[in-house]
Amino acid sequence: MKDSRIFSAFFLSLVLLPARSGAQMLQPQVLLQNAPSRTWPTYNGDYSGRRFSPLAQIRAPNVHSLKVVWTFRSVVPAGIRGAPPVIKSTPLMVAGVLYFTVPNHVYAVDARTGRELWHYDWVAHGGHPMNRGVGMYGDWLYFMSTDDWIISLDAKTGKERWRKKVADVKMQYFTTTAPMVVGDHVILGVGGDAMDVPGYLESRDPVTGDLQWIWYTEPRPGEPGSETWPNNSAMEHGGGMPWLPGTYDKQLNLLYWGTGNPNPVMAGQSRAGADLWTCTIVALNPDTGKMVWYFQGSPHDTHDWDETETPVLIDATIDGKPRKLLAQAARNGYFFVLDRTDGKNILSKPFVPLDWSKGVEANGTPIPNSTRQPTINGSLLAMSAGGATNWMPPSYSPQTGLFYVNATIGYSIFYLTDAGNRPEGYGGEGRTLWAQHVLEAIDIKTGDIRWRHPYTTADSVGAWLAFPGTLTTAGHLLFTGDYNGNLIAYNAGNGRILWHFPMRTSLSNGPETYMLGGRQYVVAGAGDTLYVFALPR
Amino acid sequence: MHSLRRHAFFAAAGLLAAVTFLAVYTLLFGGQGAAAGSRGAAQTPAQLKESGRALSTRRFLGLGTLPNPKAAAAGSRIFARNCSFCHGPDARGAEAPDLLTSEIVLDDNAGEKIGLVIQHGRPGHGMPAFASLTKEQRYDVAEFLHEQVELEANRGTYKVLHIVTGNPQAGERFFDGAGRCNTCHSVRGDLAHVGSKLSPVEIQQDLLYPRIQDRKVTVTLPDGTKIAGRLIHLDDFNVVFRGAHGQYHSIAMSSGVKVCLDADDRLAFHREMLGKYTDAEMHNLTAYLVSLK
Repeated sequence: MKDSRIFSAFFLSLVLLPARSGAQMLQPQVLLQNAPSRTWPTYNGDYSGRRFSPLAQIRAPNVHSLKVVWTFRSVVPAGIRGAPPVIKSTPLMVAGVLYFTVPNHVYAVDARTGRELWHYDWVAHGGHPMNRGVGMYGDWLYFMSTDDWIISLDAKTGKERWRKKVADVKMQYFTTTAPMVVGDHVILGVGGDAMDVPGYLESRDPVTGDLQWIWYTEPRPGEPGSETWPNNSAMEHGGGMPWLPGTYDKQLNLLYWGTGNPNPVMAGQSRAGADLWTCTIVALNPDTGKMVWYFQGSPHDTHDWDETETPVLIDATIDGKPRKLLAQAARNGYFFVLDRTDGKNILSKPFVPLDWSKGVEANGTPIPNSTRQPTINGSLLAMSAGGATNWMPPSYSPQTGLFYVNATIGYSIFYLTDAGNRPEGYGGEGRTLWAQHVLEAIDIKTGDIRWRHPYTTADSVGAWLAFPGTLTTAGHLLFTGDYNGNLIAYNAGNGRILWHFPMRTSLSNGPETYMLGGRQYVVAGAGDTLYVFALPR
Repeated sequence: MHSLRRHAFFAAAGLLAAVTFLAVYTLLFGGQGAAAGSRGAAQTPAQLKESGRALSTRRFLGLGTLPNPKAAAAGSRIFARNCSFCHGPDARGAEAPDLLTSEIVLDDNAGEKIGLVIQHGRPGHGMPAFASLTKEQRYDVAEFLHEQVELEANRGTYKVLHIVTGNPQAGERFFDGAGRCNTCHSVRGDLAHVGSKLSPVEIQQDLLYPRIQDRKVTVTLPDGTKIAGRLIHLDDFNVVFRGAHGQYHSIAMSSGVKVCLDADDRLAFHREMLGKYTDAEMHNLTAYLVSLK
């Protein structure tokens, strides 16, 4: 194909010249200026969180001939605490090399052939065995160990540069995120809600690892927002973990992040009030860590409705005016669209049937339904106990104007297991009664479901091990996985299935795509294996 | 090589820990299911499942050393006599701090840090020394605190409380009336003595949406042929099942192939009802079925 040769020459000039001149592999200032088109240098591919690639070598008419070109299996002899490793990270692809993780292991692999360049093995002392990948600055990588360290590696050799402790694993702080590099900041959020500890985001110096700023997901006593808690003790133990990577708008110089559920998680009796800034989308200045605006999606949450799902940045025309938008399909079942300059709500509309909320306030914030809180004798809820979606990355295609999310429709029962006046931890539990996984395409202007694909399965409670992310491309394609091990390509416009490939286990990360040597590759992680696809030569 | 040996060690240690854990947890939580419908000391399948849940949650969270249940039981009595006045009966704080979020408690492995504080007190922080407690008793208190942390942090150990709060007579009326349960079920047939067979929690969840293991499937081919069997796998692309005589069928889900799961059909009414029950109806129906001893 003619244009692929042109692409190829263009690509080689991009990759080889900087290497020859000794420049850094991923210049942070260049990344800020131009959205990457052929590489995948951040968790979401770029700063917008859209997971839309302009590549179109693979497209609707030819996707049926997509083939596996290589696979890579992470072999951790004893597994991760006895379980096989799971690739939840979206590999970075920079200068022909993929960088990805399983918990406490980092791999560098030739993106064209799958040959391993190096493998870094961190000896951890406990912690939550999940990891979502690395961040990159120049020639350096950053990743989080399960026991709450951030470690910087030399991307060329896999040698450790430095390590810094970011939290105490014995307080049940999880560090599972892919650190996010924005200019001269390495930004990461902590996770973990088993014990009642405060959430925070922090920024570190990419060179030294020194702390630049820290932003807590609860206000300090006396600050605005503190009036949404009954007392300082509840506020200081209020949770709100920002455990996924955020997004960034260079023009506005604003960082967008979602925060998690409050603590105690399901026993809300000791934290009467809206519990800010938990279950909230916030905009921060990345240079200072100061909050500029906020929008709370689940005031006084009692169902574990994390609001950490990717805040996707979209530029679109609404009522004839170009708008800078932020869209999120939240775990609480609402599809939110905000003006990302000031956080003003444009749209709040359920994308699954739900009854935890009885409508929205004038400012777009959902109103909790007091009759649907967890109770000792059980409260029936229209929603799967795991929520309407989770961390699996959504996608937005500017070609279709549709937002894609893997969602779950269902019913559950929520019990309050700690009815005392000093509950701690979860203090309750939710059990799914019936659930149906669906892929949805949501019109960002109306919130209407343009099409919905219910995954055919025999399992009425849903398979919990799959967390299939989504990818859209300029080839009019949508890639994602079902809950039965299939990677699937859809026509992004109408939801028709065009291709599928049965993997050994279900898709466990967000698929990605890149261009190397004139060939477009699609990468999917399923359990311990990366599958890499391309069109036949 | 080095790394392999380490992994092998951790695998062996992990297996040993898992076995020990199950034994310990059966001891710890086996007899505590009264509120969840336990009948006597024997473990019901549901309780064994709960122990498994505690273990898998433990692994998911990456919790540390398992508390020693015997020491914790002894420590509980020592704590009640000496410590609860200031730290609260459950160690969650009163006049003195919450010990479940204390860094000393969380950093302690087996009493080496907590023991020092008990022995010497915290002069300047208002905590007196408890010099009369022996080393063993200090260890017992430490294990009691670790168990309290476990019971907070490991949500797999949580027990559903008293759920039988409804009106059984109203439940009976709903069963034969608006709920239309008697269309398919009978309290003298399939539901006879259900209150002595299942725990209230199982009854409540099963009445809402039964856990049916039935995998019977009927596949209709484009030419109208019907094949029935036991389902092995079903997705958007394939239906795989064994026929009545054990023969293996693997059929592509092309247009014209129809798959019908018997259980799915039978459950359609339960799915419909999930959107209709009030909590009161659900609680009344639970109370009625629990009363069918």
